[in-house]
Amino acid sequence: MNKHTKTFILCVGSLILGSGAVQADKLADVLARGKLIVGTGSTNPPWHFRDEAGNLAGFDVDVAKIVAKGLFDDAEKVEFVIQASDARIPNVVTDKVDITCQFMTVTAARAQQVAFTLPYYREGVGFLLTKDAKHKTYDELKAAGAAVTVSVLQNVYAEEMVHQALPEAKVDQYESVDLMYQALNSGRADAAATDMSSLKWFMKQNPDKYLDAGYGWNPQTYSCAIKKGDADWLNFVNIALREALSGVEFATYSASFEKWFGEAPPAPKIGFPAELR
Amino acid sequence: MGEFFAEIWTARAQLAEGLLATIEISAVAIFTGSALGLFTGIGLVYGWRPLRWLLRFYVDVVRGTPVLVLILATFYILAVFGVQFTAVGSGMFALSLFCGGHLGEIVRGALQTIPATQIDAGKSVGLRMPQILLLVLLPQALRQILPVWINTAVEIVKASTLLSIIGVGELLLKTQEIIGRNFLTLEFYTFAGLLYFLVNFSIERFGRIVERRLALA
Repeated sequence: MNKHTKTFILCVGSLILGSGAVQADKLADVLARGKLIVGTGSTNPPWHFRDEAGNLAGFDVDVAKIVAKGLFDDAEKVEFVIQASDARIPNVVTDKVDITCQFMTVTAARAQQVAFTLPYYREGVGFLLTKDAKHKTYDELKAAGAAVTVSVLQNVYAEEMVHQALPEAKVDQYESVDLMYQALNSGRADAAATDMSSLKWFMKQNPDKYLDAGYGWNPQTYSCAIKKGDADWLNFVNIALREALSGVEFATYSASFEKWFGEAPPAPKIGFPAELR
Repeated sequence: MGEFFAEIWTARAQLAEGLLATIEISAVAIFTGSALGLFTGIGLVYGWRPLRWLLRFYVDVVRGTPVLVLILATFYILAVFGVQFTAVGSGMFALSLFCGGHLGEIVRGALQTIPATQIDAGKSVGLRMPQILLLVLLPQALRQILPVWINTAVEIVKASTLLSIIGVGELLLKTQEIIGRNFLTLEFYTFAGLLYFLVNFSIERFGRIVERRLALA
C-alpha cells in the first residue's frame, strides 16, 4: 500500500467515523449563509399566525427577528419554516432549522433533548370577564363560590386547572375557542379561563368590551430552542435575547410586547444590572 | 353569514394560494407516480429477477406503510444523512412513491390478466418484446387500469392534506391559518371540504370522459 492510498483511506475513514462528531459551528454557518432559518407555527395568534395580508406575524416571529437583527443588523434576514407543534424538537435535532421559537414551554424533560435559550415570556392562565360582569375581580369571583360558572377550552386537566384558582366554581368545557368566548358573551359563563397571552390579545382586538380579573396562575416559561452541543451558538442567542429584554434592543422587544399583549413590559432599571443581583 | 363571506373575501389570496399548492403538489405526485407505477408494473411482470425482487420490496413497503409515516420518513430520515429536502420537496417525493407503489400493483394485475398467447401471437407476426408491450399489451391493460388510476389520483389529492403536518402551505394548512385568525372553525373547514370535493369531482368527471372514449363500441 503506497503512501497516497494510506492517506486516502485515513481521510475517508475519519470522514465516516467523525461525521457525527464534527465540531458544530452554527454561528459561523448562519453568518456565511446570510439568513437565519427559524422554525415556528402559523395558526396561533398572537404568537405566530398569518395576518390578513398572509404575512407571518406574532410575538414568536418578532423574537426571531430580534435574533436576526443581532446577526445581520437586518431583522428581515429570516427564513421561516412552518412546523406543527410536535415538529419543534425533531426539526431542531435534524438541523431543519437553526432555532425554534414557537411558544415552547420549558420542561426538564425537553431540556434533555434540546438546549433552551433564555426565556422571553412567562405564560399563565387568567380570567376574561365582560365589561358589565357581575363579579369584576378575582376576589369577587372567589367570594361568589359555587355561584360562578367558568367556560374553558376542553382539556383533560381543564377542570382541575380552573379549580386551582376557584375551587368551588362550576366548569363548562367547550370544544373550540369561539364557543368558549360565546358562552361568556351570552352570559352562560361568568368568566372564561384562557391563556394569559390569548386573553390579552383578545382584549386588545376588542377594546372596551372585556376585563381581566387580575389574577394569573399555572406558570409556564417560553424559550426558544436550539440543537444541543453548540455552546457558542447558544451563547450568542442568549446574549441577543438578554439584551432585548434588558439592554440595547429593549425598545424593539417592548414595542412588540405591547403590540401583541396590549401593555408594555416593565422597563429595565438603570444603574446596577438587576439580573446579577 | 355575512361575516363569513367577508372573511372569505379577506382570505381569498391565502385560499387561492393553498388551493393552487394542493393542485400543483397532487399533479406532480400523480404524474411522476404514474410513470413510476407503469415502470414498476411492467418490471414486476417481465423484469429480470433481481429487479423484480427490488420492485416487489418497494411495492410491499409502500403499500404496507401509512402515507403519513412515509411523509415523515422522507422529511426526517434523509435529514439524518445530511440530505435536506424542503417540506414541499419531501412531500412530493413521498406522495409520488405512494402513488407509484399502488399503481405498480394495479398495472401488474392488469398485465397478468392478458392471456400469454397474445405474446406468442405478437412474436409470430415479427414483433419484438418492447413493441408487443407497447402495441399489444399496454393498450388492453390501460383500459382496465383507468378506473383504478382515477381512484388513486383522488386518493393522492386527499393524502396531500397530510403535508400540512410538515408545514407545507397547502389548502388545509391555509384553512387552519385562517381559522386561527378568525375562529370561524366550522365554516372554513366546510368551505375547504367543498373545494376538495370540487377538485376530486373534476378528476372523476375527466376520468369518466376518457373511459367513455376508450370503451369498446
